[in-house]
Amino acid sequence: MTSGETLQEHQAPARALPDVRLEQFEGPLDVLLHLIRSQELDIFDIPIALIARQYMEILERQTAIDLEAAGDYLVMASTLMQLKSRMLLPRQETDDEGNEIDPRQELVAQLIAYEQFRALAAELDERPRVLRDIFLRPIFPEADEVQRPLPEADLSMLLTAFRRVLRRIGGEVRHRIFTETISVREQMGRLLERLQLGRVDLHEFLGEQPGKEALVTTMLALLELWRQQAIVVIQSESYGPITLLRREEEHAETTG
Amino acid sequence: MLKRQVEALIFASDVPLSLQRLRELTQASSNEIHQSLAELQADYADRGIRLCRIAEGWQFRTDPEQAEVVRRLWETRPPKLSRALLETLAIIAYRQPVTRAEIEALRGIKTSSSVIATLQERGWIKVVGRKEVPGRPQLLATTRQFLIDFGLNSLDDLPDASQLLDEGEIEQLVLENITDARKEVVETQEKP
Repeated sequence: MTSGETLQEHQAPARALPDVRLEQFEGPLDVLLHLIRSQELDIFDIPIALIARQYMEILERQTAIDLEAAGDYLVMASTLMQLKSRMLLPRQETDDEGNEIDPRQELVAQLIAYEQFRALAAELDERPRVLRDIFLRPIFPEADEVQRPLPEADLSMLLTAFRRVLRRIGGEVRHRIFTETISVREQMGRLLERLQLGRVDLHEFLGEQPGKEALVTTMLALLELWRQQAIVVIQSESYGPITLLRREEEHAETTG
Repeated sequence: MLKRQVEALIFASDVPLSLQRLRELTQASSNEIHQSLAELQADYADRGIRLCRIAEGWQFRTDPEQAEVVRRLWETRPPKLSRALLETLAIIAYRQPVTRAEIEALRGIKTSSSVIATLQERGWIKVVGRKEVPGRPQLLATTRQFLIDFGLNSLDDLPDASQLLDEGEIEQLVLENITDARKEVVETQEKP
């Protein structure tokens, strides 16, 4: 036995775990930090056997666990078990240069790094935030009444807008009497036709499409036209409406 | 009168106005504009509206202490941000540009796609490129909108940015302290 760990284990009673539930935590590091900080243990001298036992207790208490997170929790469990056995080795581990290695080093570094960001996240949340604590003058004359330079949207903005529309129609059941599949090419033609009449609001246009399949086809058509530089995609402010127009029209507008 | 012009411009603009933009619009010199801004800031110091430096520009914003009464204007409250979202945002803000894998390594847990999607939807983060490692993962960074919404003039104004320990510093800290702890144990055991 190389450290006072067994002693500590007897001294610390099971009081450390009043009704902690896994879902209050943001992952295995969060659980470990809670165990360490709430029992005022020294992070540079973690009693691995005690912490491993308590960690397993919390894990076992959990009946339903989110599958995606389960893997991360289990990996940590096996890491703790491995550390526990390495701590019991009679001989000190050494690195290439012969310096002593503490098996806990890597975990401790991980915990400290995570704890920093956990604190910074809390601080960020406390900062006065627009729309929660701070308010700006609401905007603003109608977009088409104001002449503004036309900033180009980027792909991620387009996809974000698309996702938003998808979500909105997500739960909606659409009855189909007959199947009409629209090809991307057809939809490209349709979109160009529409743009001939003037600019088109992306949300409006997507909203007109019947069902998810048409939506996806429309989105593909739009991306293809954009790639061929037949149309221009404009978003004047992040999060704002996205407007489509024909490339020729853009020239007419900026020069005229 | 320049001070009035500057005040009107900042009031009428829906985005923070930079010094350069103010110069273009008023045709005045930087010095003159700075003077006007300083006077305006003093004028607004104890008002319900403040003149603030945001995202390298100037903007009028309500006094945070009046938040409660202003919120009564609307029925809805803005949703609380989850810890997963805030931690992810903090890591992106302080470590940018970062990949999702790097975020996950720091948090020790997978980042759900909905967290990234929500951050993008709010306009707080964006993809700024790809990391030249296998799989060419996307590199994420914060946006100007992030600075505006969190009331920052630049990323240097992030709280405690200078005190943040990087990987090497943490390693050093651990090495120094963890061996000490061990030595003590060994010493106390060897004494009797």
